[in-house]
Amino acid sequence: MTRLDPIARRALGRTLSRLATASVAESVSQDPGPAPMPFETARIGFTGAPGAGKSTLISRLAKRRLAVCRERGGVAVIGIDPTSPLSGGSILGDRIRMDNVANESDLYIRSLSSRASHDGLTDNIADLLNAVESYGFREILLETVGVGQAEHAVRHAVDTLVMVLQPNAGDAIQAMKSGILELADIYVINKADLTGAARTAAEVRGIVQHHRGEGKWLPPVIKVARDRPEDITALDNAVSDHLDWSSRWRDSAEILRLRRRYHVQSLIARRVLEVLSDRPELLEEVSVRDSYLRTVQALTKDRHLLSETRENPPDGKK
Amino acid sequence: MSLKGKRILIAKPGLDGHDVGAKVIALALRDAGADVIYTGLRKSSEYIAKVAVDEDVDVVGLSMLSGSHMELVNETMRCLEAYDAGDIKVFVGGTIPEKDREALLKAGVCGVYTSEMPLEEVLSAIERQLS
Repeated sequence: MTRLDPIARRALGRTLSRLATASVAESVSQDPGPAPMPFETARIGFTGAPGAGKSTLISRLAKRRLAVCRERGGVAVIGIDPTSPLSGGSILGDRIRMDNVANESDLYIRSLSSRASHDGLTDNIADLLNAVESYGFREILLETVGVGQAEHAVRHAVDTLVMVLQPNAGDAIQAMKSGILELADIYVINKADLTGAARTAAEVRGIVQHHRGEGKWLPPVIKVARDRPEDITALDNAVSDHLDWSSRWRDSAEILRLRRRYHVQSLIARRVLEVLSDRPELLEEVSVRDSYLRTVQALTKDRHLLSETRENPPDGKK
Repeated sequence: MSLKGKRILIAKPGLDGHDVGAKVIALALRDAGADVIYTGLRKSSEYIAKVAVDEDVDVVGLSMLSGSHMELVNETMRCLEAYDAGDIKVFVGGTIPEKDREALLKAGVCGVYTSEMPLEEVLSAIERQLS
């Protein structure tokens, strides 16, 4: 075990802190090294409403994935919790549900707050995932903030997306029909020891089959109950199947293109936030049109700023 | 007052099973702007050090009501050193007799905050330690 010795853990922990808090200018100015190739490290995402049981499910699955990955770099878990819009603080509570695996030596768990992101992920998630990959983990399990209907960003951050639902979430499922429910690769009906699980599974199966394209992956719908280890086996197998399927049929260049697109798009979105809070006068124009044009103008000035920062790398603050 | 951008681990080492105080502090720290991670009850010093390192926190708060604070503090410090993380600060809270304060500070903790202290005072003391 070399990768996860205490010194490496310390170094990885610090690297992730630095990346997580980097401003847009810092993030763009750093030398990222070569972009990791898809499928070398499997990225598996878990999304779903708050309280659906994502963290507990991840901890149960992580144990199985570790059994496969132990000799090949281990498993990293990234859990994201919401930042309070009032104080800017957060309670990072995902890890408390992961007690059963917390002592595993080849597992690394990191909790992050969502910061300025409103898409279920966190600022600089692309850099963070790349950094974790560079430490040689075989798999990354990424837990989003508890999401509603429209947070699709995680789709482009991961190779396999697991959507976690609960029994009797009927109305919620209806509402999600044309949202994230079309995007996942595997659906879990969690807490399946509660009544209504079979019906919910049937409903989801109906929607999923409806959206299935020719020659596409048919997402399995898996019921997972608290006391049935065989359910986790089914999920474990489904994840492996989907990763195999992806590496065989999905185009690496296309994946890299989608990752790049999300990365650039989120940098620009955050830069707009930075500019608008640094320069409130931009919003004091007579018309929306003028505010818009002046904001765009302010953004184009970044060109000079960035070439300066590249020569004098910033040391922590913008 | 702000702890914005600070990462803080609130940990319960040892065998006592009460964490109301730990949770009150955790919420107060969040409201002051910090990212707060709570370990849950009855964690070993080795475990606490590992979480502190994985999570790269600025400070660990040990909440202890069991009376074995001296041993637990020394053990946690030792484990942090083993992770090359002796620079992560440690404060203690809970039921700590006044006579032990000096020894705890000598052992390397950056603050001793007992349940009698007003919350605001605890928060500003932590903020001073981290600034």
